[in-house]
Order: sequence, then structure tokens, then C-alpha cells
Amino acid sequence: MPSFDTKSFGRIAFETRDTIEFPRGLPGFEDRRRFVAIRQERARPLVFLQSLEDPGLCFITAPVLAVDPRFRLKMSEEDREAADLSSVRRPRIGKDVWALGVISVRETGPTVNLLAPLVINLRSLRAVQAVMRDSAYSHRHALPEPAEAVCS
Amino acid sequence: MLMMSRRAGETILIGDRIEIVIAHIGRSRVKVGIRAPRDTPVIARELKLVREENRAAAGAGPVADWGGLLARLETSPQVSAALTDKDIARQEAAPKN
Repeated sequence: MPSFDTKSFGRIAFETRDTIEFPRGLPGFEDRRRFVAIRQERARPLVFLQSLEDPGLCFITAPVLAVDPRFRLKMSEEDREAADLSSVRRPRIGKDVWALGVISVRETGPTVNLLAPLVINLRSLRAVQAVMRDSAYSHRHALPEPAEAVCS
Repeated sequence: MLMMSRRAGETILIGDRIEIVIAHIGRSRVKVGIRAPRDTPVIARELKLVREENRAAAGAGPVADWGGLLARLETSPQVSAALTDKDIARQEAAPKN
């Protein structure tokens, strides 16, 4: 089983067939194409997307439905093609694809990029960061404060 | 901002080296052809936002305070509906067999 030394998780072992491949990389990281999704029971529903080419590159992500249950995926033809979804006109989250929003932790509070979720083909694990078409979603969607803080 | 009306097939020049052709006008979308020098990057604005956002996300460091994030995801009222184990299991269903 191949393994890889990472900055955040130490050495991780993974199955080659679990490798997520972004044929075009990610905007800003065009030459980073291979990732693995790391999930930890205590970190649910977060998903850590660790690069297999850069030990220090790891995105914190969350399923878009965990952020906005009504999120609707609208992919362009080019993006569908990149994720091996040419024949799937309307990819369904959870059935055809996994859709993860990249989280940024900033001083003003964490935000999720709902404008361009990472869309992973569940069959081939081909993936693309898909910029939503005709969408009102923000690239900096604020994660709401915990409920306790609001009530106190 | 300078506004110009153009028909399909017509062209706009920016300086001597950049040419913009209105290639096709659809109901809600226009197709635009752009001729520019190689060293002038041409990208959709959204892509620039996404690139900056990715860099910011990666720059924060992987072990950023994710414990705090969890609270926001779990206690958020709009989340609870979609956050049943069944939904998560479906999302996590990797094609292993």
C-alpha cells in the first residue's frame, strides 16, 4: 500500500484506487492533481483533502449540503467533462458526485466557497473545482456562529 | 465605465493588441472571442476569485482551528436537516466494491 508523508497527519497510507484526481488541478494550484480525502470520526462532517504531491497542502472542506441543505449543483459542460460526467446532464449530490466546499479560516470568521465546490465523481474519483453557473452562491459564504453564542 | 452596444460579429479594440469579438448572442449568454498577446492572461472573473480563495484556504494551514468549525456546522439550524447520518453516508459512499 503506498504511503505519503504529510505535514498535518504524519505518514498516511492509502489505496491507489482511493486517489482523487483533478485533471486540471485547482485554480491557484494547477499542478496539484492527486489528492486523498481524509475523514476522522471526531471531525465529522469535515473532510480534509490532502495533496499527494505537496505534504503541506491540505484543504479543509465540508459537504456543501452540510452548509446549505438546499444547495443546487449547476455545472458547465466543460466542468462535467473534466470530472468524467459528460453523459450525466444533472449530476446528483450523493448519487453521482460528492460536492465539497473549501473552507477558509479568516480573522472575521470562517467562510466556505459555495461558488466553486469541489465536485468528485463517485464512480471514477475524477474531480473538478466547478464554478457554478447562473448562481447566487458566494465564494465567501459565512459559516454561522454556533447557536449558543447567538442565544446568550 | 464605458458602455458600447455591439451586434454579433462586431469587434471592439482595446489598445493595439487586444481584440474582442462578439461571436454569438444567445438568450441569456454571449459568446465572446478574445485575441490578446500571450503574456496577457485572460480568465473569467470568478476564476480569479476562486484562485485567491484557494490560496487563502491553503495558506491558513491545515491544522487551523477545525474544532471551532465543527461547532458551526453542527449547531447551525439550517444544517441540522441535511446532517442526518444517512445523508452523510450517502455523500461518503465511495465506490469501493
